Amino acid sequence: MFRVARQLFRFRGLLGTLTARELKARYRGSVLGFLWSLANPLLLLAVYSFVFGVLFRPARSQGIGDGPYALFIVSGLFPWVWLSTSALEGSMSLIANSGLIRKAVFPAELLPMVVVLSNLVHLLLAMPVVLSAVLAMSLLTHTVGGPGVVMLPLVLLLHLPMVAGLALGASALTVHFKDVRDLLANLLTLLFFLTPILYSLDFFSGGQNRGMQLMGWVVRLNPFTPFTRAYQDVLFFGRAPEGLLWAQMALVSLVFWAAGAWLFDRLRETLVEAA
Amino acid sequence: MSDPLSHPAPLPETAIHVEGLEKLYRRTLPGDRLRTLKSVLVEGSLTGNLRREDAIVALTGIDFTVARGEAFGVVGGNGSGKSTLLKLIAGMLKPTAGRITVSGRVAAMIELGAGFHPEISGRENVFINGAVLGLSKREIARRYDEIVEFSGLGGFMEEPVKNYSSGMYVRLGFAVAIHTDPDVLLVDEVLAVGDEAFAHRCIRRIEEFLAAGRTLLLVSHSLDLVAGLCDRVLWLENGKQRLIESPRRAIDAYRQEVAETEAEEHQAAKDQRDAAGDSAAAASTTASSGADRWGSREAEITAVRLLNAAGAEHYHLQSGEDATFEIEVRAAAALADFVFGIAIATPRGIEVWGTNTDLEGYVPASFAGAATVRLTCPALRLAAGEYTVDVAVHARDGAPYDYHRRALSFTVTAATARQGGVGVYVPEHRWGFTGDVRWTGEEI
Repeated sequence: MFRVARQLFRFRGLLGTLTARELKARYRGSVLGFLWSLANPLLLLAVYSFVFGVLFRPARSQGIGDGPYALFIVSGLFPWVWLSTSALEGSMSLIANSGLIRKAVFPAELLPMVVVLSNLVHLLLAMPVVLSAVLAMSLLTHTVGGPGVVMLPLVLLLHLPMVAGLALGASALTVHFKDVRDLLANLLTLLFFLTPILYSLDFFSGGQNRGMQLMGWVVRLNPFTPFTRAYQDVLFFGRAPEGLLWAQMALVSLVFWAAGAWLFDRLRETLVEAA
Repeated sequence: MSDPLSHPAPLPETAIHVEGLEKLYRRTLPGDRLRTLKSVLVEGSLTGNLRREDAIVALTGIDFTVARGEAFGVVGGNGSGKSTLLKLIAGMLKPTAGRITVSGRVAAMIELGAGFHPEISGRENVFINGAVLGLSKREIARRYDEIVEFSGLGGFMEEPVKNYSSGMYVRLGFAVAIHTDPDVLLVDEVLAVGDEAFAHRCIRRIEEFLAAGRTLLLVSHSLDLVAGLCDRVLWLENGKQRLIESPRRAIDAYRQEVAETEAEEHQAAKDQRDAAGDSAAAASTTASSGADRWGSREAEITAVRLLNAAGAEHYHLQSGEDATFEIEVRAAAALADFVFGIAIATPRGIEVWGTNTDLEGYVPASFAGAATVRLTCPALRLAAGEYTVDVAVHARDGAPYDYHRRALSFTVTAATARQGGVGVYVPEHRWGFTGDVRWTGEEI
C-alpha cells in the first residue's frame, strides 16, 4: 500500500497533467464547456428545491431545523456523487486504458486516481453554488450556515483517501471480474438510501418501533455516514463536526485506503496480463 | 553525455542481468477466475499454486548478462517468448522464478505511441508520453524542439493524434522514447513500421545511442537488422534459450534451422503433390501436376539439392561461398534431345541468372536411366537475401519434359557486417578516397 502512495507521489506531475486532460476532454465539443461544472449543480439544486419545496413538503424533517430541505440534501448529495462516480468510473479505468497498460510501461495506479481527482474538481466547482445558496438562505433569516464551513477542506482531505481506496480496489478487481461494476452500481444505490442524505440521523432517534431502531443502527454503522454528517455539519449547519465524527472519518478513510491500495498492489502484476 | 553531474555514481558494468528466469502464464479456463483471484490475494502470485499442466511456459531457464554499452539481439519464431522477455526486463511483468536486475534509466519501445491519447494534440501527448517515461515537464520542454524535428511532424503538433496516420504515430512515439535519454533501451520490433527513410533515421539514431556507450536490447524478426546492430544474439525457441553467440553464428544457426524446417514442409507438400501428380500422369503423359511443375515426364527430376563447399546439403550460404546445385534426373526411355537448365530468382520473381546446357554449347547425344547433374558456382557472390531456384529438363526446342519452378529456396547472408548494399549481386569491390575526405571510427 506504500508502493501505491510512492508511485502516486513520484508521478504527481503526470497525475496533474492527466487530470487536466481528463477535464478538458470531458467538455470538449460542448458550447458551455467548463460552465457545465457550475450549471450542473445549480440545476440539480433547482430541481430538488422544486420537488421538495413546491411539489411536496416532506412531513418528517427532524434534525434539519428550518433550513430548506433541498439545501440539506445537496450538501450530502454532491460529495456522494463524487464518491459513487469515482468508484464506478474508476472501476472501468484500467480496462478502458488496457492498451496503455499492456503496451507501455505505465504506472497503472494513476488511472483510477485521475478519475477520483477529476471528479473531485467537479465537486469543488459545485461548492461555490452550495455556499452561495447557503449564504442567500441565511440572509433570508433561515438558520443555515456558519463559521464551521472553514472545516470543509479538512473534511475533503480526510474523505479523499477513502474515495481513492475504493476506486483503486474496484479498478484492480474489475480487471479480473467485470461483474464488479454491476455489483458496485447496485450496492451504491442501496448504500445511498442507507446513508443519511435524504434524511437526518435524528429521524431514527426517539422511535419506539424496533425495526426503526435497527435501521438506525445500520445507518449509523454505514461507513459512508460519518462523512455525510460532516459535510452536512460544515455546509448546512455551519458548525464544526464533533470529535467522535473526526475519529470515525479518519478510521474509515484509513481502512478504505489501506484495503484498496493493498488489493491494487497485490493484483498489480496481473494487470499487464489481464487488462 | 558523460556529464559527471547527471550520473553522480558511475553505472555498474553490467546493464542487464538475467538469472534462472522462468515465466509461466496461467491458462484461462472458464470458471477458474475465483481460483485465480484467490491465489493472487493469498500468495501474491498468479502462478503460485499452479500445477505445471495448467500453465503455459512462456520462458524457462533463461540466463544471460548484457554488459553496459552492448547491443544484444533476441531472435526466434513467433511465440518463442521474445516479447515476454522484453516485458519482464522492462518490469511490466513479474517473473515466476529467477532474477532480473537492470541498472540505469530504462526506456521500452514495445508499441510506439501506445500511451497516446487520441483526442488530444500531438504536443500534449509528447508531454504526457515523456512524463510516463520519467521526464519532468522542464526536461521535456527542453527537448521538445528536438523531438518534433526528429519526428518530422512539425506541422501536425497541434492536431489531435487520432488524425495521425499509423506511420506518424510511430514516428512521434519513437522520437519521444529516444529523447528520454535512457541508459538501457529495450526495443520490440518497432522499427519495421514507418517508412524506409524514417526507419533508417531510427537506426542511425540507435547507432549514435550505442556509440555513446548506452545499452540496447533489440527484439526483431529482421535478422539483417539484428546482424547489423548487435554484438551478441540470443536465439529463443519455444521459451528456451537455444544459444547466445555472435550475430553471425546465432543467425546462421537460426536460419539454417528455419530453412531445414521449411525444406521438410516443402518436401512434404511436394510428396503430396507428386502423389497426386502420379495418378494424373497415368491418365495423360502431358498433364502437369500443379502450376509450379509441368512437362511430359519423358525425363523426370527426382531430387534437387544445394550443396556447400564441403559437399554437404545446405540451404544457407554466405555471400562469396562456393555453391553446387545438384539435380537428379531419370529418363523414362533413352532420349537423344535433352537440355538441363537452372535459374536463380528472388522470391519476387526477379531473375538473377539462368543458364542451360544448350546455351553453353553442350550438344546432346544420349541420356538414359538415372543421372546426376551438378552446376558448381565457385564464389557465388549474391547479395544478402532470399533466393529461389527453378530447374528444368526439356527438349532443345523448349518442349518441357519436366519443368520445376521454385524447386528449392536458400538464403544468403553478407560475408561481413560491413558488407551492406542493395541488389542481388556483390561484385568484388573496394573504396578509395583522395583529397581531404575523413571518416570517424576505425580504419577499414
